[in-house]
Amino acid sequence: MSVDRRSTMLALGTARYVTMSLIALVLLLPLIWLVVSSLRPPADIFAHGSRLGWSMLIPDRLTLENYTSLIGTGFPRAVGNSLFVALTTMVVGVVVNAAAGFAFAVFDFRFKNVIFAFVLAAAMMPFEAIVIPLYILVQSLGLIDTYAALILPDLANGFVIFMFRQFFAGLPRELYEAARVDGASWGHIWLKIALPISWPVVLTGGIMLFMHQFEAFFWPLVATPSPEHTVVQVAIARNISLEGTEWGRLFSSTTLAGLVALVPFLLFQKFYIRNFVTSGLK
Amino acid sequence: MTALTDRASAPVAASEAPRAARRRSADPMQPRTLVLLAFLLPALAFLVLFRLTPIVIAIGGSLFTQNLAGETSFGGLTNFAQLFGDERFWNSLKVTLIFNIIINPLQIAIAFCYALLVMAPGKGVTFFRAAFFLPMTLSTGLTAVLWNIMLDSNLGPVNAILEGIGIGRQPFFLSEHQALGTMIAIATWKGCGYWMIFLLAGLYRIPGELYEAARIDGASRRHQLVHITLPQMRRPLAFVFVADTAINFLFFAPVYIITKGGPNGATDLLMFRAYENAFTFINWGRSLALSTIILVIIGVIAAIELRLFRDKEGAEA
Repeated sequence: MSVDRRSTMLALGTARYVTMSLIALVLLLPLIWLVVSSLRPPADIFAHGSRLGWSMLIPDRLTLENYTSLIGTGFPRAVGNSLFVALTTMVVGVVVNAAAGFAFAVFDFRFKNVIFAFVLAAAMMPFEAIVIPLYILVQSLGLIDTYAALILPDLANGFVIFMFRQFFAGLPRELYEAARVDGASWGHIWLKIALPISWPVVLTGGIMLFMHQFEAFFWPLVATPSPEHTVVQVAIARNISLEGTEWGRLFSSTTLAGLVALVPFLLFQKFYIRNFVTSGLK
Repeated sequence: MTALTDRASAPVAASEAPRAARRRSADPMQPRTLVLLAFLLPALAFLVLFRLTPIVIAIGGSLFTQNLAGETSFGGLTNFAQLFGDERFWNSLKVTLIFNIIINPLQIAIAFCYALLVMAPGKGVTFFRAAFFLPMTLSTGLTAVLWNIMLDSNLGPVNAILEGIGIGRQPFFLSEHQALGTMIAIATWKGCGYWMIFLLAGLYRIPGELYEAARIDGASRRHQLVHITLPQMRRPLAFVFVADTAINFLFFAPVYIITKGGPNGATDLLMFRAYENAFTFINWGRSLALSTIILVIIGVIAAIELRLFRDKEGAEA
């Protein structure tokens, strides 16, 4: 009986790994091709495109030329700009949105439903659709071509507020009531009790805010035209122009941007495993 | 919208009596106005300034029309009337709806499979989690650039592989019949890892005791999935569906970069129409009218999605 059960588990485990490997293959092959292409001399990039063979993935000649040639361009600065904007948005945005989510979940106040409906509606408004009126607004505030133009419009995020509200509303009210009876202030309850328990939302919300900024293209393109404030996606896209595409640099800068964006995810999923293991021990 | 706010009180409803008592004794649970404002105001002020104000400008602008000389005048609903009489608009609406009806359930189903696969710890699972998320680190525009060259009929490795294994070269974005499906495929390739994270967060919040109890009762894995995992995942699934719909209605960069709405209108999504009207035809009024229509459609679909998930919750309670 137990041998039978063990072999079922083994079969399930094998099926799981086979499935994961197949998915990973489909997801990674294009990226591997991208990275490999970024290591080829520009002349070789499309030399093997039309025939099936190992040379598609194994370069004849390796070079870092596409990477070293990025140093002289605005790319390093653009990575720094993107990181600054994305991290600031992430930290300040989590605080601002978690506070609002807490208020919607825990407090009773007038017009709460109307205001919450507005938050959701704002979350669903196509951002691309408001780029032009937003530009007019940000210009009248005198913020065009500043970091503030990139950060401020993205701090409040209806979806992140929604996530926090859902989480805080799901916690037992006795938790807050007990603390109130003990004389704790709301700020204290939020900071010391609610936020620490909500760490999965802090992380997912934080990643959401970070990725949104790191991915941003259309808004930074119009809002910060000067080279000092160019962000990473705009810098990458500058390799594509009417005169022709710098494929080598396009691939190398895309590879680097992808690696940077991967860091918060790797940190984040480590937290999950830790939590998973400890909750299993309890 | 009301569906959502109802749910706020759902966990509290069980303890209705103490809540009423709390109201009467007025009350450590009610914050002073200043405290309430400190919590709410920063987020609300940003939303009003950077979302509501541009929306008002947009909706207001949709009521203005332009003549050939570029002069604007108040035209009431003229922009909408012109759109509704335009065949291209109806084609775009059809393409947008088909795109969304396929891509949203597809992405969520795949993302859910990803999450279930990488949930349990194991050898190399970290690698697979990272692998599933990796396409997400490419921006939408770069995904389009990468796949456009990958699927190129002469230079692209995909067609070389297809020819090599005997399927033969495919036109992909060049074919009226394949273009939209290819769009859906590359968006799915990129997007599922992102939604996997939200679903993973939801899966980890399901109390382990539920599964333990089920195992002791001898419930099969499928039984556990249907009777524990799925009901417990209602909230994360509702959230992910609404968020995914909003994002896919804005699907734009690949259309702009690869197909420009073609071939023959096959990928002419509403968002691309809105962009084209603004930046190619410099017709702001009509572009803003299209944005308004997209907003209304997203609102309706989100309301339906939330209602679907709430009904199940009601049945359980």
